Amino acid sequence: MTRKLIVVGVSHRTAPLSIRERLAVPAEQLSAELDAVAKRAGLAEAVMISTCNRVEIIGTAEEPVRAERAMLDYWNGRVLPEQIDSHVYRHVGREAARHLFRVASGLDSMVLGEPQILGQVKDAYGVAQRTGTVGMQLGRSFERCFGVAKRVRTETALAAGNVSVSSIACDLAEKIFGDLKDRRVLLVGAGKMSEVAARSLTASGAHLYVVNRSPARAQSLAAACGGTPRPLEALATELAEADVVISSTAKQGYVVTYDLMQAVCKIRRYRPLFVIDIAVPRDVDPRIDSLRNVFLYDMDDLQKVSRENLAARERAIVPAEEIIEQELGELERFLRSVELTPTIVALRERVHGVLRAELERTLPKLAVDDASRRKLEAMCDAMANKLLHQPLTELKQGETGPEGANLVEAVQRLFGLDASAPRSGKGPQSAESPEPALAAERGSKH
Amino acid sequence: MSFVTVLFVATALAYVAAAMLFSAHLRGRGATSERWATRTLGLAIAAHVAFLGTDYALSGRAPLSTMHETLAVLSLLIAVSFLATMRRHRLVVLGAFITPVTLLLFLGAALRGPVGRVPDGVRSALLPFHIAVNVLGLAAFALAFAVAVAYVIQEQLLRKRQLGGIFQRLPSLDVLDSLGFRLVTIGFPLFTLGVITGSFWAVRLGSASPTNFSAGQGFAVLAWLFFATVLLSRVAGGWRGRRAAIGTMLGFLCAMVAVGGYVLRGFGG
Repeated sequence: MTRKLIVVGVSHRTAPLSIRERLAVPAEQLSAELDAVAKRAGLAEAVMISTCNRVEIIGTAEEPVRAERAMLDYWNGRVLPEQIDSHVYRHVGREAARHLFRVASGLDSMVLGEPQILGQVKDAYGVAQRTGTVGMQLGRSFERCFGVAKRVRTETALAAGNVSVSSIACDLAEKIFGDLKDRRVLLVGAGKMSEVAARSLTASGAHLYVVNRSPARAQSLAAACGGTPRPLEALATELAEADVVISSTAKQGYVVTYDLMQAVCKIRRYRPLFVIDIAVPRDVDPRIDSLRNVFLYDMDDLQKVSRENLAARERAIVPAEEIIEQELGELERFLRSVELTPTIVALRERVHGVLRAELERTLPKLAVDDASRRKLEAMCDAMANKLLHQPLTELKQGETGPEGANLVEAVQRLFGLDASAPRSGKGPQSAESPEPALAAERGSKH
Repeated sequence: MSFVTVLFVATALAYVAAAMLFSAHLRGRGATSERWATRTLGLAIAAHVAFLGTDYALSGRAPLSTMHETLAVLSLLIAVSFLATMRRHRLVVLGAFITPVTLLLFLGAALRGPVGRVPDGVRSALLPFHIAVNVLGLAAFALAFAVAVAYVIQEQLLRKRQLGGIFQRLPSLDVLDSLGFRLVTIGFPLFTLGVITGSFWAVRLGSASPTNFSAGQGFAVLAWLFFATVLLSRVAGGWRGRRAAIGTMLGFLCAMVAVGGYVLRGFGG
């Protein structure tokens, strides 16, 4: 019987954090955990993805229903006394492959189209390869899913335009200053959000200065982000030196007033200045946006950009799903062709084998000479070939048709063939339980 | 239609096609439009060279001896220097602004005025020098003009928070600002020499008295003043970004009015 791709998991869509966190597996334990789950659930191949937004197992099994039950039981032990069942999604066959493609492309992510998930899927696949739980079918499915994710990224706008406020601010700074290397970034106030934005700016080579009412907080934030703390009294001089200002104080009223900025502009000889005001209430007088070469963006502006970019990503969902459907077809065709060849070989061996065996048993009783013996053998082969002609033609034609998979499975069942087992010559019984198949594939990985 | 005319029309059409492709690329229509736009511009340049060569072979005159021929050379120089410099710096998108300028100047070459040739009285050894420095200076200014237009658009988009396709495709404000400044710096000394030699003529012909100052000369001096202000104010502080860009645009437009006056009325103003 052929193995089916199966996915069982929980994600931000189906399970609350309280469940996900109990199922999440730390990176260093992933390999052992994967090995244990695969054995217990009787999976021939398995990959385990564990991120903060999803924990899922992708595997291949001959009996998907049994494997799924075993995986659920395994997880139920973790979340007692709750029951995991209502939080789990499960997919089999084409649906499972589609799910994998969608996850890797970022279609199933909390932030649509975010790029990290592809790296996480690749890492999970790498762990599974090292653990030895990846065979041909999963290997091919994952390779295909990496290709799909790349196509979606380049051919659609699913990953285009940043949606997080801090990365939008960073993008804008680059659109004003080009290279951010050696530019001066000034943090006014020490909010969490400004820290995130400052980090992405300094990652591009900018220098960071921190002005805060509490010198201790300025000190600690500067130390955390590799910046220099400055006293609050130095605000005007720092504004005159800065290229990018990120303001996020908790103060009521403007910290950067129009008059202050007007004076600063003269001192800085109207060099461009990008001011990001992410404080609510606002820190910066909105009128400074009209000053020469001063560009002011507040929280509303950044969130508007974020919404627009997200809307553009949402428009890319349909074309992305189309790519996934195309690639699913490709994957199925490939897997079917891989399955078909051993089935044809096994069917031929079976029919020829039976006829030859019967001939061998009968020949001694007939006392025929060599010439007649050869004729009888030839007759046997001809009978086999004639019998096989129609079924083989149908099988080969079915390779591209929709009923191909059913046909292969039917032939395997009718003739008691097992094409998925490694052809070790043990015969059709060699892979009745999935364990030997798993062991054989693991052996072949080393 | 003569062969030269066919080449002229072909060149103009190729520039139109290139301008349309560059503009489509700027607006984000089609992924391969940038490559095709560059190729089409290359084709236009080839046709342009063929046109100039044929024209020279048929007329026997050097390409710079009439005003319309000078315009044909100037537009070729702009297109070639654009392709030669901007491709390396991934600024091909600016073709959307530069190609139309090239096209307009090239079309100006078709306006053969009644007094196309330089009057014999004005001929001197200085003439080729005067024309050459002006052509080189104007080519740099034309590029600076296109860059300045891109700057003004980009700044406007940033201020209006329209951060879509065009904003993403155009280079950063800093790149546009410093590139524009560099181009003005290159063009200015050349154009200065052009204006000085031009004034020298005007004096020799006795037309430079305050009462007899032609509009063309006036606009040339005005253009020179704009560019001088762009350069000086930047060094002295203040005229960065939008102001410098607008100064550059006005300077180039004045220079074009001066050139246009000559094209329509012949040499000498």
